Amino acid sequence: MKLWRHLLFALNSAWQSFWRSAAVSLAATATITLILTMAGINLLVGHTLAGVLDQYRARVSVISISVADDTPLTTVTDFEDQLRSDPRVAGVSYLSKDEALARFQADPVNADIARQIEGNPLAAKLEVRVGKLADVAAIDALARQWRGADRNDPTDYQGEFIARMLRLSAWLNLAGIVILFVLLLISIFIVMNTIRTAVYHRRHEIEVMKLVGATEWFVRGPFVLEGVLTGVLAGGLALGGLLLAYRPFVDRFHSDLFFVPLGYDPAFVGELARDVLVAGALLGALGSYIGVRRFVRV
Amino acid sequence: MVLTADFSQRPLISLQHVWKRYANGTEALRDVELTVPEGDFLFLVGASGAGKSTLIRLLVREEKPTKGKIFVDGQELGRMKRRHLPSYRRKVGLVFQDFKLLPRLTAYENVAFALRVLGEPGRVVQARSREALEVVGLSNKHYTYPRELSGGEQQRVAIARALVHNPRLIVADEPTGNLDPATGWEIMQLFLQINQRGSTVLMATHNRDIVDVLRRRVVAIDGGQVVRDDRAGGYHEALAASALRA
Repeated sequence: MKLWRHLLFALNSAWQSFWRSAAVSLAATATITLILTMAGINLLVGHTLAGVLDQYRARVSVISISVADDTPLTTVTDFEDQLRSDPRVAGVSYLSKDEALARFQADPVNADIARQIEGNPLAAKLEVRVGKLADVAAIDALARQWRGADRNDPTDYQGEFIARMLRLSAWLNLAGIVILFVLLLISIFIVMNTIRTAVYHRRHEIEVMKLVGATEWFVRGPFVLEGVLTGVLAGGLALGGLLLAYRPFVDRFHSDLFFVPLGYDPAFVGELARDVLVAGALLGALGSYIGVRRFVRV
Repeated sequence: MVLTADFSQRPLISLQHVWKRYANGTEALRDVELTVPEGDFLFLVGASGAGKSTLIRLLVREEKPTKGKIFVDGQELGRMKRRHLPSYRRKVGLVFQDFKLLPRLTAYENVAFALRVLGEPGRVVQARSREALEVVGLSNKHYTYPRELSGGEQQRVAIARALVHNPRLIVADEPTGNLDPATGWEIMQLFLQINQRGSTVLMATHNRDIVDVLRRRVVAIDGGQVVRDDRAGGYHEALAASALRA
């Protein structure tokens, strides 16, 4: 009961304090909104790029092994079984020479060439989907050692491309983390100073609270809640802005750069909402906690 | 009726060889020995800068002594952990020269505030705040804001706030300092009533008339030392002793 009364008192004080120094509170809300919007953009861009990278990864994590024409089917089947039993391999499928030709002819891009082809110059393929991008090189090496592989063109492995992609992915992750960290520090600093201003305005009240025997947490609670309120409000505003801009931005980008597999992901919206609101609340709480600590020591 | 303090009982306050030196080197208290029994009414007198305020700050544990020990109700303040300070301060009612009322709150809310911060239930807050305001004669001013009250009335609200959790000790720092003489006497009457109800009162003051007329215990401080401790003294004797020392 006592805890509940304390909570009600703290909520009431936080709400009153927020509106009593409305100009300062709203300025802080606006600044944190801006920072959370930037953090949200960072998350959205990171997620979208991760999606694009995933699609590229999905493409390059499949290597196609060309089977030499004179390879007996049993040798192919044995190697197929060997690959299937390899834990690094997610799937293997066999494409006969006829199927390879049919697929080639079905692609409109190849229409002209397909008309000029006599017989079937295409090799049968073993298409291997590798679980992790980093393991593709090892599977490629295995395939090249297989005696049934075409000696001239054993696989379509693009080693350098994959290595670049892995490096790009690592850099993007690192850049995202650094940007988020910097934004977090800035927002904590802003909330801290806002709350310090509020504390300064209420120093007499704090002094009286301490003298009549209020505990440190009782004095600090309303300020921490005020910080949470500011953070959640800013988070809500930032989220609203991000959600309004997300789809139109993706559509625009997609029409301008159609070759980049960029997409709108409605499932990520929930995750983004959670992250931005929780980040707002935590930033507000942390900034307030640090800002008020020095003033409320009993 | 005058409540007589029993010096044979365990004292409510005991200062044992207390020294206080601030970080800037100022020696505010030097080897202070003082015993205050339960129910005592004590005037702390002395010139500005003599060490009265430091002694009060030590008693409410805003400061710790540099040397020596201070016991209040058996608890040693210097060794008290910070987490125990709030519960200690609830045993002490504080009254200041500048009242320290919250201007946004009404008289009733100012008094109730002291109970709200303790998380007391609404009905307890209401009953005890009303009672405290009645004791100080402000039953008709519940909804009045401090700016609408006279200095004496504001001090009464501050006293009601100090009384509201029935403290055993009231510490008052120049409570009549901002009031005209007539109002000062009214406030003193209140303190006497509070003392008669059983609370120990320790009051720092410069008001010679009050000290002389009431003939209560007077402790004079000069240069950080207790230079005189009279069980029924006056301000002038205290000053004379201080002057002699100088």
